[in-house]
Order: sequence, then structure tokens, then C-alpha cells
Amino acid sequence: MTAKDFRPRVLVTKIGLDGHDRGSRIVAAACRDAGMEVVYTPPWQSIPAVVKLALEEDVDVIGISSLATDHLIVPKLMAALREAGLDRVRVVVGGIVPDNEQPQLFQSGVRQIFHPGTTLDEITTQISTYASEARLAAAETGV
Amino acid sequence: MEVLDLDHAGLVAGVLDGDRRAIARMLTLFDDASPGSREAAGSLAAHAGRALVVGITGVPGAGKSTLVNALLGAWLERGHKVAILAIDPSSPISGGAVLGDRIRMGEHGSHPNAFIRSFSARGELGGLSRATRAAVDCFDAAGFDRVIVETVGAGQSETAITAMADTRVVLCPPGLGDGIQAIKAGILEIADVLAVSKADLPRAGETAHELREMLTLRRANPDQAWKTRVMLVSAPEMKGIAELIEAVEEHGRVNGHGRRLKSPALDIRQGHGTLENSGDADVWRERLSALTERDGLCATLGISVVAGGPGRAEVAMTVDARHMNFNGGCHGGTIFALADAAFGLASNSHGALASGIDAHITFQVGVRPGDRLIARAYEYSRSKRIGVYRTEVLRIEKENKETPVSAFTGTVYIKQ
Ligand SMILES: Nc1nc2c(ncn2[C@@H]2O[C@H](COP(=O)(O)OP(=O)(O)OP(=O)(O)O)[C@@H](O)[C@H]2O)c(=O)[nH]1
Repeated sequence: MTAKDFRPRVLVTKIGLDGHDRGSRIVAAACRDAGMEVVYTPPWQSIPAVVKLALEEDVDVIGISSLATDHLIVPKLMAALREAGLDRVRVVVGGIVPDNEQPQLFQSGVRQIFHPGTTLDEITTQISTYASEARLAAAETGV
Repeated sequence: MEVLDLDHAGLVAGVLDGDRRAIARMLTLFDDASPGSREAAGSLAAHAGRALVVGITGVPGAGKSTLVNALLGAWLERGHKVAILAIDPSSPISGGAVLGDRIRMGEHGSHPNAFIRSFSARGELGGLSRATRAAVDCFDAAGFDRVIVETVGAGQSETAITAMADTRVVLCPPGLGDGIQAIKAGILEIADVLAVSKADLPRAGETAHELREMLTLRRANPDQAWKTRVMLVSAPEMKGIAELIEAVEEHGRVNGHGRRLKSPALDIRQGHGTLENSGDADVWRERLSALTERDGLCATLGISVVAGGPGRAEVAMTVDARHMNFNGGCHGGTIFALADAAFGLASNSHGALASGIDAHITFQVGVRPGDRLIARAYEYSRSKRIGVYRTEVLRIEKENKETPVSAFTGTVYIKQ
């Protein structure tokens, strides 16, 4: 990493029909307090909106908070990100994800699932590690 | 100009092509002040000048984000490509920030002709202004013909806003308290358009009236081709938005798009020869002050900038016990340092990096603690590679009379 003033850029969002945003607010605030630049969106984002935002804000990590039952919208987001050329962006999911759905998320490229009970420290440490990885990937590919 | 490394040359080409990913990445490089980003900014600036860049500033809660959204919608509807740079303050403790959420909540962000990006104000004003200016030029070069920069007014210097926007809109919420606050922050002075927000609220008309009165009291500037306008806007009702757009576009037509390009960026090495065009004394003073603030010796000795211009600089200091030699007189090195500071600023004022290769000095009169000294440097000759500068050091006497203290001559080698 050569940039002299690297700050992780993180998007904290919710997609789909899930309207509870308390958890994502707390995570956004924790990331900010850990020195990251956080783009935070209200709930009910569409996949194209998230992709456009991630692209324009050049985020390193997307954190998706998900309490709803429809986690399988996440693989659709992963596909859309790849299509937009945003392969370097690391995606993590937070929430209650049933065991049988997890393999599908990981297969689609999700790096990590933060289950209820994960400490905020753990979450921010992991996110900033993923952010560094993503920046390195950006430096290597040039975009 | 320095040679770009391969990646950045590729990125610059991508930006010029309008590739959104390249634009986004370039903006991050500016924001991080990454190696090579200044050179990239320079190449992009050479392609800038078509866009109309509007700076929107105002106290927190003035209604900036709401207005930016309204402008975005109106400009998109008229077929423009619109880029927005939203600058959010970062937390003074962690340095982190939550960015741009208000504009994002608006309805126009997903439009394919809109590009919304947030930067966090990371404390250092010079750095932010540099990154912002580079970002604006990047959008311009990429083909966005309307660029909006949203900043919190307080603390932004006049130079910073002038250097990043062609047209400056200051947004004042209704109510006297806030109005006075805006004026204290000095942002009234820089407005091309003063917009009173929330025109639907009862005291908006009154505030507009007060602002008009204040403008008439302001010292007149005879060179001004543009008279500051006061307007009322109500963003949720879209009232006054078309009129505001008309005023902003007219200002752009009168002054020409790309006015900002003629004002010096805060970093002297980014000037790209545009400095010569600026006659603004305040701009020069601020610009050179920004350099001395980074100069350890100037800070140690208490040297400050009085004035500057292309090839010129004037600096001052008050002599105290720290500056004395063992005989109780002012140390020759102190006077040399003062003369050298003026020399350094004058010789670097053109934007190219100039390194001193020779300097000498005479000492005419003694200097005591409490004396006020100034050093004035001017360009004696300058070719492509070599510049010669003369500096006079003077002691300020009663009634501002000046006594010559030292004559200094310095030569620089100019790096291309
Ligand atoms: N009545 C009325 N309220 C408005 C208008 N414009 C903005 N507001 C309200 O004023 C508040 C602040 O608006 P913002 O657009 O967030 O103001 P801002 O200047 O961006 O604020 P900061 O982001 O805190 O600097 C919000 O609650 C808006 O809904 C208006 O034209 N009329």
C-alpha cells in the first residue's frame, strides 16, 4: 500500500424488503469510530442502487445487514457487482443466516457472515482487514 | 510535467473516456493524496474548463443537501450530466466519517447521468482544497457539464472555495441569528448568489431583506462585472429553483466557465502557470501563507507572509531574545533566514519547483529585540532554468518609515 493517507471506505446498507436498520446504524457508527469513512444508506435499497453507489463512492467493503428471510438476494448483488467490474469490493453480511443458506452466500463470494453476538470490535477489525485487501487489489489492477 | 506512472496514465485516459470506475478510483487517489495523484490532477486540469462548477455552502442545517437534490433533479431534467461532490466533516477523534447520506436519500441519485461522491474533511484545509479542486477538474474532464460542490461554510477559506467553484452560492436559513453567523464566518463576502432557504417559512423574506441591506453596505468593488444576487428558494416545493439555476448559469456566462482554473490551487506546485493570471492580493497572501505554515523554520522563527504576487513575496517577523547572537545583536543567520524565506516564496510562486543554488547577503545596520523586520523579494531575472531574486530586508520605524538592514541576492535552479 503506497497511499500515505489510506482510510477504508465502507458502505453499510440493507437491500430488499427488510426495514430494520438499528443494527446497521450501530455498525456504521462503530466503523466511523474506528477511523473509517462510512457511506450509510437507509433501508430498502435496490441492487442497482447499491452497485451504483459502491462504484461512485469507490468503497472497499460493503456490509449488508440482513435480518429478513430473503438472504438469497445477496448472491444476486454479488453477480451485479461482478458485472459492474467491482470484483475487488469485499462483501460481508451481518444477521441471522440459517445454516443451510450459508454455503450459497459463501459460494457467491461473500467473505464473512457476522452472526448475532459478534462483537463490534471483531466486526470493525475484520472490515478493515478486508478493506486493505481490496485496496491492494485496486492498486494491482489499476482500477 | 513529470512522467505519469503507467497505471495513472491508464486511469487518466479512462477518466477522459468518461469511464465511471476510472473516475471513482481517481477521486480516491486524490482524496488519499497518493503518489502520482498531483501529476494526474495536472493532466486532467488541462482538459477541464467546460463544466459549470457551483459551490454550495452554508451553516449546518441551512438546507444544502435538500437544495443540491433539487438542483440535481432540475439539471438532469434539462439533459445535463451532473456530478456532485459532498464534503462532510470527519470526526475529530477517530478521523472517521459518515458520508453523504442526505443526498443519497434523494430520488435522483440513481439517474445514469448523475454521479455522487462524498469526501470527508480530514482536518487539514489545504489538503482538502487540493483534493476537491482535483476532483472537480476530474469530473469536468470526464464530461460532466454541471458540477456541484457541497461544503459546510464555516472554516472554509475564501481561497479554497474560489479555487474549487466557478459560481458560489451561499445558502442562509431564515432567521437573524444564522444570518449573522454566516457573515461572521466571512462567507457572505464570497457569494455570487445569496440564497435564503426554506422560503416557505415565515421569516425568510425578512432575512432576504437584511442580506440585501448588508450587501449595499459592503465595500464596493468597481471591477465587478457581477452584482451579488439575493434570492429565495424552497427546495421541497421547488420554488425559486428555476430562478436560482438561471442566476447561476448567467453568472457562468458572464464570467465564463472555468473561472476557478484561473485562481491558484493551494499547492504551489499545482499552479501550472495559471498563477500569473491572478491579481488577487488576498489569494496570493493566503497561498503563500499556506506554504510558510508547512515551513518548519518560518514557524520556529515566527516569520509570516505579508503579501505576494507572481515573482514577489513579502514576509515579516518581530525580533526577540531567541534571535540574538552572543554579543546581544540580532544574529546574522536570523536576518538571512528572513531574506531567504521571501526569496523561496518569490522564486516558487510561478508553480515550478525552484531550488536555491546560491545566496549572499550584506548587513548594514544592527537590529535589537522588539524590532519589526520585513523582507521583500522580487524577481530580477528568470529564464527557463535559472532565476535571480533580490531581497531587501528593512526595519520598520515609527510612522512606517523603513530603514535598510540587508541586501540579499539569490539564484535558483528551476526544475521543469
Ligand atoms: N421548510 C423547509 N424546510 C427545509 C427546506 N430545505 C431544507 N429543509 C429542512 O431543513 C433541514 C436541514 O436540511 P438539509 O438539507 O439536511 O441541510 P444541510 O444544510 O445539508 O445540513 P447539514 O448536512 O447538517 O449541513 C431538513 O430537516 C430539511 O427537511 C425548505 O425549503 N423548507
